[in-house]
Amino acid sequence: MNSSIAKIFTNRSTFLGLLVVVLGFGLSFLSPYFLSISNLLEMTQFGAVLALLGLGQTLVIIGGRGGIDLSVGAVLSFSGVLMALLYHAGVNIWPAAIIAIFIGGLLGCLNGFFVAVLNMPPLIVTLGTAYIFSSISLVITNGVPVSGFPAGFDFIGQGKIMGIPAQVLLIVIPVFMVMLWVINKTTFGRWIYMVGVGDTAARLAGIHVKKVRVMLYGISGLLAGLGAVVMSSWLMAAKPDIGTGYDMQSITVAVLGGTSMMGGEGSVSGTLLAVLIITMIYNGMQLANITSVWQLAVMGIVLLCSIIANNIFESRSRQTVKKSK
Amino acid sequence: MTVSHDFNPGTKPFSMGYLLKRREFIVFLLLILEMAVFGILTTGFLRIDNLMTIFQNSVDLAVIAAGMTLIMIMGGIDISVGSLLGVIAIVVGWMIQADLGAVPIILAALSIGALGGTVNGLIVAYGKVPAIIATLGTSNILRALIFGMLGGVWITGLPPTVEFLNIRIFGWLPAVTLIIVIVYVIFWYFTKYIRLGRAIYAVGNNAEASYLSGINVGHVTVAAHAIIGALTGIAAISYIARMGSVEMSVGLMLPLQAIAATVIGGTSVTGGRGSVIGTLIGVLFINILQNGILLLGVPSMMEWAIVGFFIIISVSFDMLGTKKIIH
Repeated sequence: MNSSIAKIFTNRSTFLGLLVVVLGFGLSFLSPYFLSISNLLEMTQFGAVLALLGLGQTLVIIGGRGGIDLSVGAVLSFSGVLMALLYHAGVNIWPAAIIAIFIGGLLGCLNGFFVAVLNMPPLIVTLGTAYIFSSISLVITNGVPVSGFPAGFDFIGQGKIMGIPAQVLLIVIPVFMVMLWVINKTTFGRWIYMVGVGDTAARLAGIHVKKVRVMLYGISGLLAGLGAVVMSSWLMAAKPDIGTGYDMQSITVAVLGGTSMMGGEGSVSGTLLAVLIITMIYNGMQLANITSVWQLAVMGIVLLCSIIANNIFESRSRQTVKKSK
Repeated sequence: MTVSHDFNPGTKPFSMGYLLKRREFIVFLLLILEMAVFGILTTGFLRIDNLMTIFQNSVDLAVIAAGMTLIMIMGGIDISVGSLLGVIAIVVGWMIQADLGAVPIILAALSIGALGGTVNGLIVAYGKVPAIIATLGTSNILRALIFGMLGGVWITGLPPTVEFLNIRIFGWLPAVTLIIVIVYVIFWYFTKYIRLGRAIYAVGNNAEASYLSGINVGHVTVAAHAIIGALTGIAAISYIARMGSVEMSVGLMLPLQAIAATVIGGTSVTGGRGSVIGTLIGVLFINILQNGILLLGVPSMMEWAIVGFFIIISVSFDMLGTKKIIH
């Protein structure tokens, strides 16, 4: 009995799943409308972009050596703006969207190059590139949102299939499935964890550490580019500062989902559950008429508590490892 | 404990070769170059009142960057300074409106700052939360607090209680710049000769070795965070004196600016190496860039791309110069 309770708390996904249920129950007291099917389905669209960025962030952090990507928000802004400008320059919207996604990936690879090949600390690199990307997207748009996307483009962000938002059904779920498969069933997926645990060991095991790490940052950029397409379609406009704050949120969901800041540990399903939790809290607060500024504070508190909780779980499970060291 | 921050300690002091190996000197040359470029390209830049305005506008950043240097030498980072400055500035604004004297205001600013910093320090040292995440979290809590405290209304039109900070000595030297001089002299002495200052270098170099040699790493961490908090209090007063108002977005770019100044000034982002003098030059570098870009008529949004570029360049210099590999 005792050990099964301990198991629930040490298995991150079970714990988060339980939290979702408890939260849903609690929030239904705040507003009876919360647990209605239409609200629950509506709600998921608010988490779509965050889920994409959070999944990328998760991979980068698992990849270790202080891995962090503070530029996801800036890449989101930049890709969105670029897509809008390409469209206005006469490119068809769908190729423009695909170019935007790849540019996002390219910018991510640039981060990866600085981090993996030039050995620079990820925190400072992505801080610097975040400045550069967000500054450029402000300059090329003069700080004004670009709108005027063609009708039909709004399907990704606003369309619904059987009541489920299209951005969740057509983008987030497939992306999540692919990542789940890559991480658990492919060699590359196992390499990510190996690299995260330690460079030297991974290199000795024959893994091309630098290549893997560049790819991780590249994937994070790709997902930010994809997020930009979803976001632009949702708002039907590309805002040059839309990504502000997403860096922090994506780190929060990754950490809340059980990814260790030390690298080598974490799961994409944990992150997805964390996105669900954050979205539920936001939605619940909105329904309860709590001003949106307090969401920031809640986010901060959740972030700190989740890491401290993580540390407690981790120190417990690692005690045996440390002893043998 | 002799922790060298020279690239080559064997070189003779003050020879040209020695100077060229000092990071501060290289950044100083870059600063002179920057001033020369703006001096040639614009007409108003080198006028004495323009230069003094730059100094005057540098105070908040300079004071906070001194603290950031300590934190980064220790291997940490603090991105909550902007929000903390906002909260303190609002309290200071209220106290000025309530017509309390200068002494209580200064004491309140310092103690709120130190308290905020201590909380960060405790979370980092004893909650074992990485500094970036801990301060990210507190920064968001404080930012929400700013919104709550202001309630959508800016604090404006403050009576001139702290107006003495806007006085110009000899008619041209802004009195607030004395704050920069005092803070940096104290910090230079502190990091070179005081035990706690040296302990910060030691912890940044190797926390485990410091612990084994009897340094209380937890205490040092909390102390360093408390110091940057108190400095944020000073910066908040100077901010109010300069702006005369507090708005919602107060201090939003400040942490990033302070990190940029510190990194450009040669503090190693992996900890253990750096100097406050370099940081001061880095602060001037950024503020002169802001001013010069404005005079040149370049869109001000471009400024951050340039700062970002310099951050990356200076860190890659660091990595190539020291061949230090981080794990």
